[in-house]
Amino acid sequence: MTQDAQQLPGTISGGEPSATKKFDYTIIVWVVLLILLIILVANPIFQLFKESFFVSEDEAGGFTFQNYIDAFETDEYYKPMYITMMLAVSVGSISLVVGAVMAWVVSRTDIPFPNLIRNGILASFVTPPFLGAIAWIFLAGRNEGWLNKWIRGIFQLSDEFYLFDIFTMKGVVFAMSLYTFPLVFIVVLAGLNNISSDVEDAANVAGGGTFNTMFSITLPLVAPSLFAGFILAALEAMILFGIPAVLAIPAGQHTMTTQLRAFMVSEDDLLGLASAYAMPMLILAIGMVWTRGIVLGRRGYATVGGKGGQRRPQKLGVWRLPIFVLCMVPLVCAIVLPSLALLTTSFMKNLGGGLVWSNFTLWNYHFILTNDAVRESIYNTILLAIMAATGATIVAAISAFISQRKLIKGHQYMGFMATAPIGIPGIVLAVGLFAAYTKQPFVLYGTLWIMFLAYLTKYLPLAYQTANAGLTSIHPELEESCRIMGANRLQVFKDVTIPLFKTAVIASWILVFMPSLRELSASVLLWTTNTKVISVVIVDFYEETLLGPISALGVLLLLITLVAIAVGFRVAGRDFMRSAG
Amino acid sequence: MLKGIIAGLLAVAFLSAPAFAADEATMRAAKKEGKVTWYTSITLNIAQDLCNRYNKKKTGVKCIVHRDGSGKLYRRYLQERKGGIYVADVIHTSNLGHFLNLKAKKIITPYKPAGTDNFNEKFVTKDNSWTILRAGVLMPFYNTKKVSEKDAPKTYADFLDPKWKGKIVHSHPSYSGFVTNGMINIVNRFGWDYYKKMAKQKPKIVQSAAGGIPLVARGEAWLGAGTTSYSLLKLMQKGEPLKPVIPPTGLALVTSPNGVFTKAPNPNAARVFTDYLFSREAMQLLADYFLYVGDPGVKYPKGLPALKDINLMAIGGDELKKKNKPTRKMFKKLFGV
Repeated sequence: MTQDAQQLPGTISGGEPSATKKFDYTIIVWVVLLILLIILVANPIFQLFKESFFVSEDEAGGFTFQNYIDAFETDEYYKPMYITMMLAVSVGSISLVVGAVMAWVVSRTDIPFPNLIRNGILASFVTPPFLGAIAWIFLAGRNEGWLNKWIRGIFQLSDEFYLFDIFTMKGVVFAMSLYTFPLVFIVVLAGLNNISSDVEDAANVAGGGTFNTMFSITLPLVAPSLFAGFILAALEAMILFGIPAVLAIPAGQHTMTTQLRAFMVSEDDLLGLASAYAMPMLILAIGMVWTRGIVLGRRGYATVGGKGGQRRPQKLGVWRLPIFVLCMVPLVCAIVLPSLALLTTSFMKNLGGGLVWSNFTLWNYHFILTNDAVRESIYNTILLAIMAATGATIVAAISAFISQRKLIKGHQYMGFMATAPIGIPGIVLAVGLFAAYTKQPFVLYGTLWIMFLAYLTKYLPLAYQTANAGLTSIHPELEESCRIMGANRLQVFKDVTIPLFKTAVIASWILVFMPSLRELSASVLLWTTNTKVISVVIVDFYEETLLGPISALGVLLLLITLVAIAVGFRVAGRDFMRSAG
Repeated sequence: MLKGIIAGLLAVAFLSAPAFAADEATMRAAKKEGKVTWYTSITLNIAQDLCNRYNKKKTGVKCIVHRDGSGKLYRRYLQERKGGIYVADVIHTSNLGHFLNLKAKKIITPYKPAGTDNFNEKFVTKDNSWTILRAGVLMPFYNTKKVSEKDAPKTYADFLDPKWKGKIVHSHPSYSGFVTNGMINIVNRFGWDYYKKMAKQKPKIVQSAAGGIPLVARGEAWLGAGTTSYSLLKLMQKGEPLKPVIPPTGLALVTSPNGVFTKAPNPNAARVFTDYLFSREAMQLLADYFLYVGDPGVKYPKGLPALKDINLMAIGGDELKKKNKPTRKMFKKLFGV
């Protein structure tokens, strides 16, 4: 979806004499980018590969295939792979149905409050999944979950009865789907918005009803988006660490990510085994991204521009209200209920005490605010998010600009390089970074820098896509017309390009900043005493099952995220998150 | 430059000196170092409480807590050492077996904390390689709102009753040294057969030994297979609906050593802080948290049974060292994680 640069008609730099003629800056740009790519991607992956063939028992060493034999021959290690595949397929499918239907409803029908639904989905997109999972323990625990208790109360059922049990694989699928369906929604919505209503109108005129038109006309047209959405959601389900750590481990199940982490924190030195174990994940992830690329083709989606066809909403008729209520269900499950659960639990003195005034306390907040690790983690989290957002945005903006305006030789490969890390799961990247930068001479482990590298790598593709999409929408004609009017290149750049590009840059900054606030799967392997972040502290607390303090910290993290969104809305306009797709 | 050389000489002199309690010079040097990092497996609230109290004394040394499970702390330290990174000064876990390894590799250095002369002999070591900071027992327990006293399990075998299927919570030996310790004791009595049957009960697996308590307190699980006695008794004092099970077979005693790293980045602060950990104030604080300590002068809270009144099971560090890995492996095989 990013290789559209070369197909744009006419750019301003074509063969014009300019200041850069005297010295070929191309080389510098490429050298810098190459070094960056080696540090961020090539070296970690190479070290990962290398470690997988070595014995890592503390002082030992030596070449071996044993890591691969151990990783793939033992039942206990093989099973998590199978479970992960099942998770990816189920979560991908559920997300696909929910996300696509909601995208269609919002984009094509006369549903009431479409903006409420859209913003709600974006809000669930930025909710930390591990927090959602923890909150769902309060909501759908088999014995004490609120929902089970309500149902028992309403229908006068025995204590043994339960409808939901979150500590099961079904629970994991449910919790994951809540936070992955927005990916499908965003991609499919973008796809739908690119199809004009003319064809649908034609179907309507020919006598097809609302749903008939949807199935026989709209659906096939957005098929590539649907597939891309499915892949994104399945990939996310495969590489998520937080939700299985919270819900699957208590159920006695490892997924590949939690097993990988178990290797990394084992008393025995299992870096080699972990590296071998990471390989199938890496290969699968790259494969999925690659397939998505093929299906979407090389077509670019120009998002701004006067599309001919108008989009007329389909009439839902009597279904209008029921469908609206249905659409609210995933949002209530993803945001409203978890926030309420965390908020109330954070003020509870005794976990077994229930919702009564005598059970009210501020102790949990006192606990987290007087805890040094928490205070430092808040500082580290915000600092890292700012660093990652700034770093990724700068690299992304420059690469996108070079690529779009064809400023240097080989600009076609720029997009590929900036989006290459998209196929590397965060936790695999972290194992690689760990293998690469815990040894002399490049010891970055123990500093914020190694986490910065992880964040930068992980979110660079997102930043690039956003910046690139922003640039695509600035038609070079605008710049050219100014040139015709007599402005020189610098003036054009200053007065036209920058002001227009600014929004995309800010949007990409915020889009990296927000997920950085809650990054977990890489941080969980890279943190040290002095480099804790909030997400890691929450998982740390969860290992001690400190449910009260976790809730308080969760409320705090949600508040920080809310502030970030509010600022984003103010600075970059209401639509800044739409470019996330 | 000169300052650096003197500091270096002092450090060398100090490291080769016998393990004696910190004196004036050490205090001054500690102040210069300014901080101490404590890798500890005691529950976070206690670790942070100790640190906060120490920091309030304004000794010029700031205490930094790094709380994690025994196994993870051990790995973390070795990993950091491999990369030449030295963060931790003092280590405290519930795995004596690890301490034997650390001692054999000279990763920890002998130190005799001030004021431990009259300590219970079981809490101190002859060569001062480490000192036991606290002891507790691994206690099975239940939720009193969900389970009546009459129905509650009385023995370890009672936990295997099919009526508790899906209602038990069990902690993880790869994470918790406390649990590894307890499991070895139980396997010694009942064989692995006990845990094969326990696995069939489909318990919820939490990481930390204390991690089972909140789930049982909420009523999400009804029974806990075993937790740290101190966390349990403290929460009972706070009014959570919990009660221990004291099986006639006995309870596993877990003693948790504290040692100083040879390559501590803040060697003086490490010693000064270790002195604090074994001071009357800290010992009393630990006792108030329902822990057993070596200091004979502390007052134990109501509700904490005297150690001599409990039928105890115990294993030595060597046995722990030998059986540690097989125990973790077997657990993973039986319980899946």
